[in-house]
Amino acid sequence: MGNAVIRFDQVSKRYEGGHEALSQLTFEVAKGEMAFVTGHSGAGKSTLLKLLALIERPSHGHISLDGQSLAKIGQSGIPKLRRNLGMVFQDHRLLMDRTVFANVELPLVIGGIAPLERGRRVRAALEKVGLLDYERQLPASLSTGEQQRVGIARAIVVKPTVLIADEPTGNLDPQLAVEIMGLFAEFQQIGTTVLVASHDLPLIKRIKKRVIVLDHGRLVADVAAEEVL
Amino acid sequence: MSAPNEANTPARSERSQRRPVSSWREHHGWSAANSLRRLASKPVGSLLTIAVMGLALALPLAFYLLLSNVQSLGDALGRNQVVNVFLKTDQVASNAQLLAKKIEQHDGVASVTVKSPQEGMDELSKMQGFSDSLHALDNNPLPYVLLVQPQDGISADTANQLVDDLRNEQGVDMVQDSGTWRQRLDALLGVGNRAVLILAGLFALAVLLVVGNTVRVDITSRADEIGVLKLIGASRAFVRRPYLYAGIWYGLFSGILAVALAIAIEFALADPVARLSQVYEGKLHVGGLPPWLLLAVPVAAAVLGWLGARLVSAWQLRRAA
Repeated sequence: MGNAVIRFDQVSKRYEGGHEALSQLTFEVAKGEMAFVTGHSGAGKSTLLKLLALIERPSHGHISLDGQSLAKIGQSGIPKLRRNLGMVFQDHRLLMDRTVFANVELPLVIGGIAPLERGRRVRAALEKVGLLDYERQLPASLSTGEQQRVGIARAIVVKPTVLIADEPTGNLDPQLAVEIMGLFAEFQQIGTTVLVASHDLPLIKRIKKRVIVLDHGRLVADVAAEEVL
Repeated sequence: MSAPNEANTPARSERSQRRPVSSWREHHGWSAANSLRRLASKPVGSLLTIAVMGLALALPLAFYLLLSNVQSLGDALGRNQVVNVFLKTDQVASNAQLLAKKIEQHDGVASVTVKSPQEGMDELSKMQGFSDSLHALDNNPLPYVLLVQPQDGISADTANQLVDDLRNEQGVDMVQDSGTWRQRLDALLGVGNRAVLILAGLFALAVLLVVGNTVRVDITSRADEIGVLKLIGASRAFVRRPYLYAGIWYGLFSGILAVALAIAIEFALADPVARLSQVYEGKLHVGGLPPWLLLAVPVAAAVLGWLGARLVSAWQLRRAA
């Protein structure tokens, strides 16, 4: 695949204590592609995403992101990498004492964007997730689904080339889960590469995107979007 | 939910590279405002911390104020006090006048007044209880006395030299001055000055520790937030900056409080000190804290706060990493 944005090459991850979370994992995700990573608990889904965000380093193998080898990124380069990576978490990871606006604005403040531009982009991101009217509210006053959408707005506000999400619908009812996945599919359509870790097989089948199946850290299936039943 | 519609603006990294200075300034402005908001969000805790630090800083200030006033009192009582030179009883008026003129030429002497035996007798007779006894005397036993007024602000060494020289003059029987107790006072003031320095050092350390501990607790309670910031690309400096500003705010506000307390102490002392000054015919110049010190204390406290926050946040954030 010539235009791969995410590339795993023979990647293994062994934690201290000997547990092997990933083993000899090789796959690529193309620019503008959306893929699910699925498998049972402990299959290695979260570890895979942690390796991409440099929360963990691989024990063996090579990972590249948007043409950049992650092995060459030192400790001081990690913040810059993460600023160009949209991340969505199952538990939202919102700052509960800040307004919705302030939460979404945070990556732009970190990125050094001017205040006027920040305001414009935060409102654009909130509009995309349907929460423009909620910008002055605190996250605690929102439903779980709305909080997740705030988390998504925070991830997309930096216009990332790659968006990764770890069980983003884990706490949502089926209807909301479909809505959130629909949002990810829309970001894919504008050229963002989207990688979503989820164990929700019925939902994955419904969205009909490429599916990478892990089992005990090994790649056991890589199903193209058109082959998803 | 509306469809995605990416704006045609430059990517974030390009934009921030073009405006590094304003970006740096905005980061600092954001961190300063953010840390102030955090302080305001827990007013009781913040005020208590500031009060403890303010009191710690006010104590050496108050001691310094007390010491400078004691020094001023010492100057008024001692250094500029008249030195009484008692001449031998065989010295006549002409001898007294000659010696007075000679002493007037001496370094550190402002004026010399000659008091005759009769004037001394008149003074004594005005004192209650002396009058009858003095009438019983056949002749006046009092000698000529020279009242030597040293110049204002004369140093202790010059004053001592003056007294020694007066003692060695011909016809002088006795010189009465306050040299011994002045030396004791100077020694005590020296101890006091050193104690102020030690106290200031100890209380500065206390301020450092209070800020450090407050920041440590703050970082611990915000571990989740720090984790989120790191995940969305915040550098270590960005994460640490609000805590450094918190240290600066704590220091600055406590410094202002300390200055306010010191000024309050000055006001509380103003009346009794004014009365004391009147007793010494205005010779007692009791001052407050100098303006430079009133400005320096909040600045120094802010620097101390920053230092405490920096030391602890570097260590605590490394542990959290």
